[in-house]
Amino acid sequence: MSIRVEQIHKRFGDFTALSDINLDVQEGQLVGLLGPSGSGKTTLLRIIAGLEKADQGRVLFHGKDVTNLDVRKRRVGFVFQQYALFRHLTVADNVAFGLRMLPRNERPSRRDIRQQVTQLLELVQLDHLAGRYPAQLSGGQKQRVALARALALKPEVLLLDEPFGALDAKVRKELRRWLRRLHERIPVTSLFVTHDQEEAMEVSDQVVVMSQGRVEQMANPLTVYEQPASRFVFDFLGHINALKGLYDGQSWQSGDAHLRLTTEGACPNGELTLYLRPHEADLRREPSDSAHLPVTLGTRSVFGGTVTLELEPQGWAGDVLEVELSRDAWEHLNAQPGDRLFVHPRQLQTVTCNGNLGPRVTPA
Amino acid sequence: MADIHQRPRHWHQWLLILAAFAAVIMLLVLPLLLIFFEAFDQGWAMVQQNLTSPDMIGAIKLTLVVAAITVPVNLAFGILLAWCVTRYEFRGRKLLSTLIDIPFAMSPVVAGLCYLVVYGAQSAVGNWFSGIGIQLMFALPGMVMVTVFVTCPYVARVLIPLMESQGQHEEEAAITLGASGWQAFWYVTLPKIRWALLYGVVLTNARAVGEFGAVSVVSGLIRGETLTLPLLVQMWNHDYNTVGAFTAAALLAAMALVTLLLKTVLEWSTELKNGQPEQDSP
Repeated sequence: MSIRVEQIHKRFGDFTALSDINLDVQEGQLVGLLGPSGSGKTTLLRIIAGLEKADQGRVLFHGKDVTNLDVRKRRVGFVFQQYALFRHLTVADNVAFGLRMLPRNERPSRRDIRQQVTQLLELVQLDHLAGRYPAQLSGGQKQRVALARALALKPEVLLLDEPFGALDAKVRKELRRWLRRLHERIPVTSLFVTHDQEEAMEVSDQVVVMSQGRVEQMANPLTVYEQPASRFVFDFLGHINALKGLYDGQSWQSGDAHLRLTTEGACPNGELTLYLRPHEADLRREPSDSAHLPVTLGTRSVFGGTVTLELEPQGWAGDVLEVELSRDAWEHLNAQPGDRLFVHPRQLQTVTCNGNLGPRVTPA
Repeated sequence: MADIHQRPRHWHQWLLILAAFAAVIMLLVLPLLLIFFEAFDQGWAMVQQNLTSPDMIGAIKLTLVVAAITVPVNLAFGILLAWCVTRYEFRGRKLLSTLIDIPFAMSPVVAGLCYLVVYGAQSAVGNWFSGIGIQLMFALPGMVMVTVFVTCPYVARVLIPLMESQGQHEEEAAITLGASGWQAFWYVTLPKIRWALLYGVVLTNARAVGEFGAVSVVSGLIRGETLTLPLLVQMWNHDYNTVGAFTAAALLAAMALVTLLLKTVLEWSTELKNGQPEQDSP
């Protein structure tokens, strides 16, 4: 079932939670709503579910207006952030709850219910825990019970609010891969809320980046990363280094640091900010004609195939820079903390005077 | 929660504990025991005679009737109040939650007098009721009304913090799963709060059975008609029927002990059901 959200506005007192939200989700897609806390993503999810009412705007399922349709009739599966399992019921009874609430003439027989519950628990690989109570389960297990419970009524839309929020890093990773695979098996249109960039990028077909009650960008993960629609999106997707300086038409300069580059969009007074992603730079012992960014090596952290370095600007003002090198490059550099090095950006993102994203540039 | 208790190490710490025990025994336990001694002072036969006297049987019946009406009324009232205060956000929510405490703050005698003024035969309301043949004051209705007043905060006060801490995600989950509001209440909310509810009922009942001040104002003390057990204790005591007074008192004390036992069991089982630390919940 496709979902369409048209011009949704929502206020809580003086606080504008959502303003002018428009979304189109195609049938069978898995969409991640990504944004910092307070960006309105959970409110949007609850409005789509019918748990919250928008002040203005419409929600359409498969072209049909459901704005005023009761939650119970929307056929939406909702997975709550803290799972909201019924603590007094066993795992099996939790999953069976939706089926048992059906009106008598639609309700399956006891045997059918039991059979469906068993199937659902097998689907989430928890059939061996059917008799347990929620308090006896781990976080990851509770999450899967919540999912099985939401799927019991064969919803046409599945909504998940921070599905992995309360889990530790390792379980998170396993579970989101598992969710991805599950979605391939049961291609129900799904929206999930997250504040974790990596999670959104890994799991979703489409990412909706939200900020302060607005949609900043909706696109597939690669596009969002490669062609961010706004400074916020660029900023939010991973760490960035901001280099502030002056541009004279040929080179950018800040103290001892300078870069030769060609761009437009610097402020009339010459101010120009450049964004540098940690993995879009090299480190060498010597400067080049086009790039002269002296730094001293601070701490390093080795994790997996990359080495993250903290670099203190030398002779120019700025925050500590973060640069990621491959392990090979790091070993080849053979540097010690305190060494004087030079950063060589491969690509930089310019920020225009009015705060928008300008063209990408390469020092040359 | 971290366990902050520590074993006493110094003699003055032990002395404090000893003092606490001494105070509890002198002030609470001994008087209670003495009631039973006094009651059985003249032998079992006298106790039996007092227990089977018409006044006593009437008082027991009346006490039970008052409690039997009060408890369900305040059960419903308490759930309603707790529901409103914890589930909705509205202007005056804080005020409502404060007003619930009036009976706690006010002396029961004052409550009795207020009811006498508002519902007595001289008042418009009392007049209207006596017009249709219902006497409110100096009769069962008035006694039930003041008992309801005095005991109305108990259930709500037990439920409000619990329901506040439980939140309403489970109810929302039930509704997304197709449950109606009533089904969500019956299958989700009620099981979550049942132990606390029972605890509230036990407290309400104990207070309803033992209430003296408010009831004595509106009862009129009509022998064999409007005497509850606590009132009977006072009346017999004035009549120099010491054994009788102490027998009735012993009966009340026994009820109190049963209540205490029930309360302890309930607290223990609530802890067991709700206090179970949920793994990895923040």
